Amino acid sequence: MTDTTIGRNLRSPWRIGIDVGGTFTDFVLIDSDGAIVPYKSPSEPKNPAVGVLRAIDGAAAMLGLSTRAALEGCSHFIHGTTVVTNVLLERKGSKVGLIATEGFRDTIEIRRGYRELMWDHRTPWEDVLVRRKLRLPVVERVAADGSVVTPLDEATVREAAEKFRTEGVEAVAICLLHSYANPVHEQRCAEILREMLPGVYVTASSELAPIIGEYERASTTVANAYAAPKVLPYLNELRSELTRRGLSKDMLLVQSNGGAISLDHVSERPAALALSGPAAGLASLQLYGRQLEADHLISIEIGGTSCDVTVVSNGAVAETESVKVGDILIALPSVEIYTIGTGGGTICGIDQGGLLFAGPEGAGAKPGPACYGLGGERPTVTDAQMVLGRLRAGSYANNTLTLDASLAVNAVNRDVAAPLGISSVEGANAIIRLVEQNIRHAVEKVTLERGLDPGKFILVGAGGAGALHVAEVARRLGMKIAFVPRLAGVFCALGMCHSDVRHDLLQSMSRALGAELLSDLEDGFGRLEREGLSKLEADGFPSVSSSFEKKLDLRYAGQQWPIAVPAGNLNVASIRKAFDEEHERLYGSSQPDAVVEVVNLRLAAVGKLPQLPKGGDGLTQLAPAPVKERRQVSAGDGSGLQIDMAVLDGTQMCAGHFFNGPAVIEEVTTTILVGDGDRVEVDEFGNYRILIGSANAGAANG
Amino acid sequence: MADAVLTTLLQNQLDHISQHMGRVMERTARSPIFSESHDFSCFITDAQGQLISVADGIPIHTGGGGFAVKAVIRDFGARDDIEPGDIFILSDPYEAGGNHLPDWTIVHPLFVDGKLFAFTCNRAHQSDIGGGAAGTYNSAATEIFHEGIRLPVMKLVEQGRTREDLWRLLKLNSRCPHLIDGDVRAMIGSTKIGAQRIHALVEEFGAKAVSKGFGDILDYADRRMRAAILAIPDGIYEGMDASDTDCFSLVDVPVRVRVKVKDDTVAVDFTGTAEQIKGFKNSSIANTFSAVYVALFSYLDPSIPRNAGAFRAVSIHAPEGTVVNARYPAPMTSNTIYPATEIIYAVWKALSSALPEEACAGWGKAAHCISSGTDAGGKTYVMYHMHGYPGTGAVRGRDGFPSLCTVITLGGMQIPNVEAFERKYPVRIDQQEMRLDAAGPGEFRGGTGIDYRVTVFEPAEYSFRGEGSGIASGFGIVGGVTGAKADFEAFDRSGRPIATPRYGVKRLPSLGIRMASSAGGGWGEARNRTPERVLRDVEDGIVSIRSAREDYHVAIADDLAIDLEGTGRLRAAAGR
Repeated sequence: MTDTTIGRNLRSPWRIGIDVGGTFTDFVLIDSDGAIVPYKSPSEPKNPAVGVLRAIDGAAAMLGLSTRAALEGCSHFIHGTTVVTNVLLERKGSKVGLIATEGFRDTIEIRRGYRELMWDHRTPWEDVLVRRKLRLPVVERVAADGSVVTPLDEATVREAAEKFRTEGVEAVAICLLHSYANPVHEQRCAEILREMLPGVYVTASSELAPIIGEYERASTTVANAYAAPKVLPYLNELRSELTRRGLSKDMLLVQSNGGAISLDHVSERPAALALSGPAAGLASLQLYGRQLEADHLISIEIGGTSCDVTVVSNGAVAETESVKVGDILIALPSVEIYTIGTGGGTICGIDQGGLLFAGPEGAGAKPGPACYGLGGERPTVTDAQMVLGRLRAGSYANNTLTLDASLAVNAVNRDVAAPLGISSVEGANAIIRLVEQNIRHAVEKVTLERGLDPGKFILVGAGGAGALHVAEVARRLGMKIAFVPRLAGVFCALGMCHSDVRHDLLQSMSRALGAELLSDLEDGFGRLEREGLSKLEADGFPSVSSSFEKKLDLRYAGQQWPIAVPAGNLNVASIRKAFDEEHERLYGSSQPDAVVEVVNLRLAAVGKLPQLPKGGDGLTQLAPAPVKERRQVSAGDGSGLQIDMAVLDGTQMCAGHFFNGPAVIEEVTTTILVGDGDRVEVDEFGNYRILIGSANAGAANG
Repeated sequence: MADAVLTTLLQNQLDHISQHMGRVMERTARSPIFSESHDFSCFITDAQGQLISVADGIPIHTGGGGFAVKAVIRDFGARDDIEPGDIFILSDPYEAGGNHLPDWTIVHPLFVDGKLFAFTCNRAHQSDIGGGAAGTYNSAATEIFHEGIRLPVMKLVEQGRTREDLWRLLKLNSRCPHLIDGDVRAMIGSTKIGAQRIHALVEEFGAKAVSKGFGDILDYADRRMRAAILAIPDGIYEGMDASDTDCFSLVDVPVRVRVKVKDDTVAVDFTGTAEQIKGFKNSSIANTFSAVYVALFSYLDPSIPRNAGAFRAVSIHAPEGTVVNARYPAPMTSNTIYPATEIIYAVWKALSSALPEEACAGWGKAAHCISSGTDAGGKTYVMYHMHGYPGTGAVRGRDGFPSLCTVITLGGMQIPNVEAFERKYPVRIDQQEMRLDAAGPGEFRGGTGIDYRVTVFEPAEYSFRGEGSGIASGFGIVGGVTGAKADFEAFDRSGRPIATPRYGVKRLPSLGIRMASSAGGGWGEARNRTPERVLRDVEDGIVSIRSAREDYHVAIADDLAIDLEGTGRLRAAAGR
């Protein structure tokens, strides 16, 4: 991209977003005029902070600034960190002890007796994060209504503390039965442990995730204890390094819920950072939603190994009550990211029964797809794209990578086309068709299966490979617009600059919804609101820039899964009506006569960052984009036909350019496929809008 | 498009559709048995009732669905009485292709160009269907009439109009009409969504291609299954697993199987199996076939599609009048668990001599009871004491799991949280903890099983199913040792023991239950387990120092250090 922002005077204060990925650390700066500066530099997996500081140094240098000046001018420094995820996935956390109600110390190992992929009963579970000898019982019991059946025997807590001391435990998780209804025993345990074990991190389930369900609470609390002693020192050190280098504001971290939070506020709950990086992509999605003036968007972010699907519906991010990191369940609110193992490196072939497969195996970064020439022999999705002519052969990324089309053809031919007796182009087409069917299924999982009509959404293609599939997937789902951000490669870091500060608060209830419940609901939300307000004030948000989103988790008596219904206006009749309607819409049935239960009160306290001005360049005159070259590209209709297709150079395209497909657009970090009959336009922000089936709706290519 | 590519895309899409149906059911049904326990299966058949795709419900549902659709075709299709807009319901295992009475099946025919094209179906275990005990399991039954309402194939919806009289009949015959009402609606909803999506598929690919695709999908599974069977050495392998009770008295009830592997076919012959019994542990033909499929698919490659094509290579002979193919009017509600478990184990044991490396040790059989009563609101509740589920068997490469919901689920059924149970039922659960020295020793040991204690505060009716408290059921394999059996005791609130039957229904006052659930069997010789793993189990309170010495031949000192020399001696002696 010919970046007009570089060399231009930036107007302070600006925001900086930094997203740490496995390969690259992405940096984005947005100044007060809305000008955007992206920068990428290599990550440092052994110590991600080094990669972060290096990215800041590099970006500052590119801007002709000192690091100190870049940081001093920064009003919001927002960071997405993968350290929590990595600690959990790589099992590199601390030595944890668990305090449980006597008789229930194995909850976390029994795992509710559930094998998700039941037919594969041979694969073992991973070891639990806290082994049995460090799961210690205390004598106490609280009943479901919160009443104390057996008072806490403090001697048993002290005994456990002694054992933890002897064993050198670094963190203790406390999860007692029904503590969501009455936390007093957990609180007392925490006091005793903190007193007896100074320096040991102590976390209680009733504070962290006061939901009904001892397995989910225990798992969450243990994960929190497991991560905290490893990640908090790291984050503290990063913060002081940044301060030392000139950052005057507190570093903000992106939580799994997509909202940012200060390190001090997240130190009680680092498990809330489990999806820190990818969750910020949602803020990007919302940003594009504002630019597009659309409130229904789905993004498919496709990299080398996976495809992440996220949804914004009615302007709101789809959320879930829990996430899984590997096999570890964390029951904290999170943006919903549905991931499938489909990426550019996904390996394809013919199975022993003669059918085509794509995945689950991937070629990874090394050896990578066959066309990389790094020793990979099996065909991947990237190789199929190469065979179809959609990717350009030759050197990429400053000559660090050379794509060889003949290697791709050989691989697809040998493993797919020859066994089926078809041409390599037909084989490659079949691969893409299957992969796009899988992507479609993933999108349907988060729309159709929730009662949302995918046809009403705009599909956003992000990541290195999303833009190759976005138009075709959108077409098959009945969508009208596919969208490719110019900054697809720094999708999450850009989102971070737009992440509001957010605290999620919850109170479980389990009562029938009725007029008599109103005062309890008012009290409950009042309490949550006061708590949220004080947290936001501590973050520096005055009440004028704070907002509160209230929801009730409701279900028909007897059902397991609640539906969250907005409860901004506490009118029992209208909440009831909204729930019945929502149930009808989602599941095609409602039960207006049935009892409705309130499961939880949820409140999101949000401190709004000021909106940035539009940073886009003004419209120039509408003009067809210049064609860089033409080459043989598959028509994509499965016929095996190649057509002489226009190839456009993305770096030469700016606002006002359009082109009627078919075409391939080569961008710096991605390649965009525009289908036959589609029309692509560069919008006022420099992003690509693909209008599905609208090639004849505007001017001709000329 | 090449045939193989089309078949790939169709199979992928049909599996997606059946999963979508399952999702609708899970989310909309009222009974926790569906949302939490997944005791249902959604499936798609072709116009002949051949199973094309089934979503992962619980495994014992696999493969039985085709019998139901074939009964619909037999009763209505033959006289041209299947019309667009019709929806059928059935349950009877003798007359209507059911597996047992509590599983009701909704069969939704769909038409393309006026011709019958396929069926979308949902088979789901109802909360209560009348009969002699609340909650569908009447362990005192001696005839099928004691087990609840029998449904032949009936039109529940006739050309788009629900038969309200029939609907009332269904509700009237259940102790939980409010659950039946919501759950059957959810079942119908899921089949409607499935049908809509198949219509969309036909629109995309054309009726001819989809119809041909059905056949190709079956052929593909056929090839995969035959390839897996080819890897088993030819031969005749025998296996037997037995119960020691007919629910009324101690009597040997063996399920005997001869598995003949020849080239790419498997013939499973139950000749020699016990005659049908007085109690409700008799199998229907649909259930016996399902159990054999569970045994084979769980032993072989789990990625083989479990459809009618894969079943072609398997022939099953189940002599009439035996517990695996009972004659009317034998009671049979228990069959999806027992004798399904004995059928699975007999086949597993037979295969273990053919492919010992892949052998599966036995999962413990359950011994918990079901309590039912009336809640404060006057509604009938039924509580399965699920927190006392048994431990599972080991396989090469992993120990058994501490507690899963019996082998017929393969762990695909979730145990609810204790907190959820205590909010719902008048109980307090006092313990759910892994057992000590119960797991069957082996190079890979069995699952521990559970120490379970509960107090039930109100009088209730109890249906006892103490299968696991007779003979130890979690058998060891290829040198592994059998896990401990279950123990069950009940006592009144002052601590005096209450006599309870192993099987049967009894009304009892408020009481306490203490149960140790069955543990799983071990795989391979225990002396080959690494001393470090044995020590870890000792530290974790799963294996005692004594058991480490006697069963694993590992010497561990009181300070929990491995005595390497002593271990060497013990192991050398054990190897002789």
